[in-house]
Amino acid sequence: MRAMQFDSFTFLGFFALVLAIYNAIPAWSARKWFLLLASYIFYAAWNPPFLLLLIASTTLDWWIAQRIDAATDTRRRKAWIVATLLVNLSVLGYFKYSRFLLDNFAALLGTLGVHYVPAPFDIVLPIGISFYTFHSLSYCLDIYRGKFAPTRSWHDYALYVGFFPQLVAGPIVRFTQMRAQIETPRRTTAAGLGLGLTLLTLGLFEKIVLADSIFAPVADALFNKPQAAGSALAWSGTLAFTGQIFCDFAGYSSCALGAALALGFTLPINFRNPYAAIGFSDFWRRWHISLSSWLRDYLYIGFGGNRHGAWRTYVNLMLTMLIGGLWHGAAWTFVVWGGLHGVYLCIERLIREQLATARWQQNAIVRFGYGLLTLLGVMFAWIWFRASDFSSAWLIQSKLFELSTLRAGIAASGSDQRIAVITLLALIAVHWLFRERDIKQVFTRLHPLLLGLLLAIMLSLIVLSPGENHAFIYFQF
Amino acid sequence: MLSSTSSSDSASAESGGGKPWLIAWLIALCLVAVTLGAVEYRWRGRDYRPTILDSTLLWSVQRDRVYAQSQTPLLLLGASRIAFGVDMNVMRELLPRYLPIMLAVNAHYPLATLRDLAEDENFHGVILCDVDSVGLLREYNEMQREYVQYFHRQWTPSWHAHRLLLNVWQAHALIADPAFSFVASARRWLDGAGEPFHNYIHFHADRNGDLDFSRTDAEAIKHHFADNLKGNIAGMPKRTADEWLSDLAPVSAWAKRINARGGRVIFFQSPTHGLERSTVDRLMPPELYWNRFAATVANSLDAVLEPSLNAFPLPDDSHLDYHDKPAYTRALIDVLVAHGWLQR
Repeated sequence: MRAMQFDSFTFLGFFALVLAIYNAIPAWSARKWFLLLASYIFYAAWNPPFLLLLIASTTLDWWIAQRIDAATDTRRRKAWIVATLLVNLSVLGYFKYSRFLLDNFAALLGTLGVHYVPAPFDIVLPIGISFYTFHSLSYCLDIYRGKFAPTRSWHDYALYVGFFPQLVAGPIVRFTQMRAQIETPRRTTAAGLGLGLTLLTLGLFEKIVLADSIFAPVADALFNKPQAAGSALAWSGTLAFTGQIFCDFAGYSSCALGAALALGFTLPINFRNPYAAIGFSDFWRRWHISLSSWLRDYLYIGFGGNRHGAWRTYVNLMLTMLIGGLWHGAAWTFVVWGGLHGVYLCIERLIREQLATARWQQNAIVRFGYGLLTLLGVMFAWIWFRASDFSSAWLIQSKLFELSTLRAGIAASGSDQRIAVITLLALIAVHWLFRERDIKQVFTRLHPLLLGLLLAIMLSLIVLSPGENHAFIYFQF
Repeated sequence: MLSSTSSSDSASAESGGGKPWLIAWLIALCLVAVTLGAVEYRWRGRDYRPTILDSTLLWSVQRDRVYAQSQTPLLLLGASRIAFGVDMNVMRELLPRYLPIMLAVNAHYPLATLRDLAEDENFHGVILCDVDSVGLLREYNEMQREYVQYFHRQWTPSWHAHRLLLNVWQAHALIADPAFSFVASARRWLDGAGEPFHNYIHFHADRNGDLDFSRTDAEAIKHHFADNLKGNIAGMPKRTADEWLSDLAPVSAWAKRINARGGRVIFFQSPTHGLERSTVDRLMPPELYWNRFAATVANSLDAVLEPSLNAFPLPDDSHLDYHDKPAYTRALIDVLVAHGWLQR
């Protein structure tokens, strides 16, 4: 599945054209209509018929939100919110999970001795459906909770859902974060364009140079043929995927932020140096922030959060992470990935509850050690995220601990493995170095000469990393 | 568990004034131009030349054209021999009624593409399918499936536009070739390897390729091909000529299906000489293999039996040098027209 990608000539041409026309249109209302049209063209470039699904979903949720707001009695409001949940989750379920559910149903029948083979069907997953469904759900749920009044303008709402920089892979933006920006006239500023193009360059650097050229070949060598891998490749491949998944997704997010900023819009930061996290709750404050906050606000708190005692808190935490895992893909490996993170969070919470804040917790060595443990836990979980099935994941896990062959494997490792591992170590060092700093502020405060040099290095390496375009990993979710 | 996100509201507020950005970008663009120019100059100085690089996207650009109405699509299927042997400009010039389309893929036998075209009821054109007895082995049936699947599952107008722009970049910049990428150079440096292989293939945007044997050791390639062929066939399960032929029933059916809706499939065996020819003839004698398959299809041609085609020199025993392509293509057209399969 490959939509119009940020790392394509088509997007560069499209974006230049959009930027020029957008700024040439004088009236704000007309500029918004143009942005919506451009967003729909961006989406239709992948598969035109699915644009109708996006428009239908957008229109239905916009209309239902108004019905929720207009309803005066609680039962009616509840009926409307249940309706929108049912419709949105059914559509998502049909496209994303029907095959998975049928296969599991068949397997369940098989254990009861009933042989059932589901009829073959090939459903195309509409790109970005998980993201725009979450946009719509958050909007309707917030209206239901009375957080704000719905917008009367269809095209404002449609632009919120369909705004092309974030349409297919996030960040999952809340309406409150976009409403003022959509309702207030804005256009490209010199500074916004400068920073926006810088973020776009950073995103392309992360995607093309780091994710696709350096990390992907080593990760693919392991995960495509785990049987043939030794312990050294198991380690280097896992490390490489740890780098790849970050650079791929954070790269997309940087491009999204940059493209939006160039048009005068500010999207929320989606990653904040996650591989410098100290603890797993800290990791989730830094990784895919827009999803983790969505899961917290609409699932964890919806389940009751920590308001019903310790036992329910742990159950709610596990449920949230398991569903979060399943959101990523219709496979049990994603559920295990979510489950692992749920277990990490539960253990961390349990330990924190037992040990009151002590001075040793602030000790630099302890913090570094815990950061290292966090990174290892996250890496270990990535195996389940990337492996094609359970047996491959088990196999790779077991190979990590075949220490007898590790030394010989390291000595025999290829240059691509060494480059990937060194690059990941450099990436982790950068995360620690900028642990508490916002990337936008870092760029803004850099001396123009240094910034120019940094941009030149990134741009040169982007051009000097030709190859086939790889789809962004998060497009499949 | 999780923290909330926040967004500051104004792009300009967080990014300061515009002048520093302008300076930074001007510096960056100047440095990029100098760096890339220097890298390009360095490699060009070592006698490397830019070339188009084949891919599933480039193949799909051509696959998209098979539905042409104004001219009869003339599809060239096969592997390297036809991809590097036929001159598309000569084809276009001598066969104005036809729209020549190159769908051959270097080192990939064509049956998966033939099957796809047979199943595509909207295709009514002519196919010149270059395949020999080895290429008809069942082990090679799916070699081009990746290309077919890409076209049906992932090809979009957006990628079409991207590939056309990429063609322009690749045609003019040596640094568009992954062999000269930053990572490839770093790997060579770490491995103590020499400079990239001097490729003797020059590829065009219409997926036609030129082989320049003056830039390579044809004798070494000749032995490499023959050894590869022996090794590959030795590694396959043993089967009789009858079993081989029975595997090909669907292939004849695909050709009949295309013929039945007004199209035409011509099975064609490009000329081979020397070691390549003797190895194939020994492993798969024509009287037991190719001739029997040819009897099951409406149109077939063995170029070895056509003196005008067989006369061309093949430096590596199976491919033409690019200097001979135009004359060979004229001779091939003459033969196809003489059989009544094409009209001038």
